[in-house]
Amino acid sequence: MTPREWARRLWATCRRTRSDRDLEDELTAHLELAADEERRRGTPEGSAVRIARLRVGAVAQAMEAQRDQRGFAWLEDLARDVRFACRTLGKAPGFTVVAVLTLALGTGANSAMFSVINAVLLRPLPFPFPERLAAVASIDLRATAGASGSASWPDFFDWRSSARTFEHLSAYRETGFTLVDGGRAFHVPGAVVTSDLLSTLGVKPALGRDFRINEERAGADVALISDSIWRSQFAAAPDIVGRAVTLNSRRFTIVGVMPPAFHFPVSVPAAQIWITNAEDARVDNPADSPMTAERGAHFIRVIGRLRATASIASAQAELEVIAAGLARAHPDDSGNRGVRVASELDRLVGDTRQSLLVLLAAVGCVLLIACVNLANLLLARGAGRGREMALRTALGAPQRRLVRQLLTESLVLATLGTGCGLALAYGSIALLVRLAPVTVRGLDQVTIDGVVVAFTAIIGGISALIFGLVPAFQTARTDSGIGGAATARATQGRGQRRLRGALVIVETAVGVVLLVGAGLLLRSFDRLLRTAPGFESQHLVTATFRLPDSRYPYLKQILFYDDVLSDLRALPGVDSAAATAPLPLSGSRYSISFQQSGVQRPQSERLSADFGMVSPGYFRTLHVPLLRGREFSDADSDVAPRVVIVNERFARQYFGDANPLGQRIKPGLSTTEKEMPWREIVGVVGDIRHQRLSEESRPAYFVPYAQGLISPLSLVVRTNNTTGIVEDIRRTLARKDPELALYDVRTMDEYVATSVATPRFQTLLLALFAAVGLTLTAIGLYGVMAYGVAQRTREFGIRLALGARPAEVLGLVLRSALALIAAGLIVGVVAGAFATRLLASALYGVSPLDPATFAAVAAMLIAVALVASYVPARRATRVDPIAAIRSE
Amino acid sequence: MSNRDSGKADILQGTLDIMVLQTLTTLGPVHGYAIAARLEQVSNGAIQLNMGTLYPGLMRLEQRGLVRGKWGVTENNRKARFYAITAAGRRQLAAEKAEWTRTASIMHSLLNEAP
Repeated sequence: MTPREWARRLWATCRRTRSDRDLEDELTAHLELAADEERRRGTPEGSAVRIARLRVGAVAQAMEAQRDQRGFAWLEDLARDVRFACRTLGKAPGFTVVAVLTLALGTGANSAMFSVINAVLLRPLPFPFPERLAAVASIDLRATAGASGSASWPDFFDWRSSARTFEHLSAYRETGFTLVDGGRAFHVPGAVVTSDLLSTLGVKPALGRDFRINEERAGADVALISDSIWRSQFAAAPDIVGRAVTLNSRRFTIVGVMPPAFHFPVSVPAAQIWITNAEDARVDNPADSPMTAERGAHFIRVIGRLRATASIASAQAELEVIAAGLARAHPDDSGNRGVRVASELDRLVGDTRQSLLVLLAAVGCVLLIACVNLANLLLARGAGRGREMALRTALGAPQRRLVRQLLTESLVLATLGTGCGLALAYGSIALLVRLAPVTVRGLDQVTIDGVVVAFTAIIGGISALIFGLVPAFQTARTDSGIGGAATARATQGRGQRRLRGALVIVETAVGVVLLVGAGLLLRSFDRLLRTAPGFESQHLVTATFRLPDSRYPYLKQILFYDDVLSDLRALPGVDSAAATAPLPLSGSRYSISFQQSGVQRPQSERLSADFGMVSPGYFRTLHVPLLRGREFSDADSDVAPRVVIVNERFARQYFGDANPLGQRIKPGLSTTEKEMPWREIVGVVGDIRHQRLSEESRPAYFVPYAQGLISPLSLVVRTNNTTGIVEDIRRTLARKDPELALYDVRTMDEYVATSVATPRFQTLLLALFAAVGLTLTAIGLYGVMAYGVAQRTREFGIRLALGARPAEVLGLVLRSALALIAAGLIVGVVAGAFATRLLASALYGVSPLDPATFAAVAAMLIAVALVASYVPARRATRVDPIAAIRSE
Repeated sequence: MSNRDSGKADILQGTLDIMVLQTLTTLGPVHGYAIAARLEQVSNGAIQLNMGTLYPGLMRLEQRGLVRGKWGVTENNRKARFYAITAAGRRQLAAEKAEWTRTASIMHSLLNEAP
């Protein structure tokens, strides 16, 4: 058919009623003309029309033939089939409700899960040509995994001036500002960015202007502010551009306001104020070197916009050449540094992709089980419709027509189920998002959009085929003999029973895979929760504040912290108070190289370990055991001999069995000293899981903050009154300096909870899906067993009549159920052993082949199977022999 | 029962298109009954077209754009739908005619081959 003919036919189909009359008129005219001719030949008036009709045929039949030619016959058939299917389903409301609910559960879970995947993995970043945004990071070529994704300022400047594959290359780092407004100080999340960041992203300020390149130089104190700050702090003043704002006690000039939707860096909470990297080029003491000159300090992120002609691979190749040149030019700092270019979306999504795909696979399994259940239901229903099918076959319906009719029923069911599923997904998204870890990109924008609806429709259609095809053929195959009870029963032969058995095996196997996955994650999560972080997280409150450099030069900062801590310790209800940076489980980690006394290594092979600054009493406050030596005390001041405390792992790794106390190391850390000092190890403390609960602690060393303060400290207060203390801390701080803002006020337990949020999300969802899967499997098994027993009523009656004891009949039924389950278990365990490999990276302390989990799943399934088949089995024992035999 | 289902009707339908197009070329715009009457006359009564065969055929030709139908009035003042061949119909007829002649001549020489 040509497209034009298609169009004509479609048009004709749409305008059926009018065209029908047209056809009829024409045929009637034909008949009249034929009758006229008969009359001309002299046929009596009474029989002219009758004879004409004999000659040219009946109008009705010709109409039918024309109708077939006229439209898309199949489309009209489809409409008829759909109407018929709706009527048929309406007559079996119980079946229809169960089927639609089963499908709604299956497709709903899928479309909810997919809507998350759509928002997180598929939806492009909200910038023009987002596919050309790439993240560039400096990597340690010696490290096998876990690259940090950061870079140093000098590296970035060199990349920016040499790279040709990028239209723009920008750097940024997240930071925070203390904003004072009407005597009240508060913390605002923000970022330090290079002047061309907005050009890279392809965004323009809604008001005012972008940064200029000369504003990257120290002294250019300019800021861009967010739409929400503009509204909340500046009452949306139209003359905002050019006004001053005081950030960290320094005056900045506002040059622009960003559009409301602008959100970069992609972090939670979102940045509200952006200043240029002039911030990092600034030094308080002219003798110091600025951060922008520290090639070894990797703490900024780099994002670039690729040229239209470039690709990730070509950018990677170019930057590798540049990095190799830098490694030759600066062997001390960059000797082992390489570079990695990745798409910005991939960087943001990170590990989330794997866990989301695993969850999608899991909901896929749930849907598969739902489909198998439906197939079973349809088979049972089809068996009951043997008489109807036989009758329709006898009346001349070809088999393919019956198959089509049955498939249409499946399609109608699928449409209803999928519709309900979408509604279910819509309702569950809010819950899903609340359970999800907050830091995942896109999770705040999960919606049911066109993509999700299309996906749902597709899986609905596929489901209809999966659950409808086999039963349709099976049912339509009914013998076309005289439709009677005997025929209907005869077709329930071994073939059908085997088919239904196979379906049970499939759904059991899929259920096993789901359960094993969920079981492994549950065990792993349990392990994780039982993992001691190396300190006691209960009753600890933490908070951070930032001392503006302009008013607090180095020594004054140390004195201020000393002062605040001694005030906090005096508060009622406070057991102890300390300060540290970085805070365990807060996500930030400092890694600083060091030299070991008496061990010579080339500079490029300098060792690195985790680093922390702590106050006296820090380890006591966190209840970290002191294994050797002493904690820091007030005597370890800025003028005292330099000291350091190492953790157990550090001691073991670098000193083996030797006593590390009295040994010296030299961290690559300079503060006020002209030269980096050697520091004597005065204590060994227990290991702390610093990064996340699932990650073993690395070697770490700690210095007193009085001897090396490089960033704002967090307060850590141990108290029984974790809620009331916050106001006390705030008041204490405000008394000392009302222009300081306390932020990140959280209990240590909250940090622990956040650190397990991702595994908790994955575990919870998989467990939920497995529970749904298990329930569906149990329902399916029950259905099959109940149906099997009903089919064999006569057999059981005879057995009982011949003297079989009820227990024997019970055993007979249970055995046949167990045989199916056992087969399903075997298939499922083998499939599970392969499938759980996908989970390996998400598991903590549990092997993907954990025998205990597999055994528990097997036991659970057998138990469920027994329960599901017990009820039908009991029914079999209660068969009345006389009634059963007579019923035939 | 239905024309569609017999193999004979299928063959007829293939040739019916040519017959109708040729008739319209000869007679000019005429109604369905006239086409049927003409074919019956030309074939000496061998072809008696049932309405159920003729009208779906006309409809197919119309759908393919080979003929165009229009309501009109017969000389006896009866309303009828008149069909006219289109330019595309003329081209199609020429092509089918050539094909038909070729096939017929092949069949003719094949069947009359000396044993």
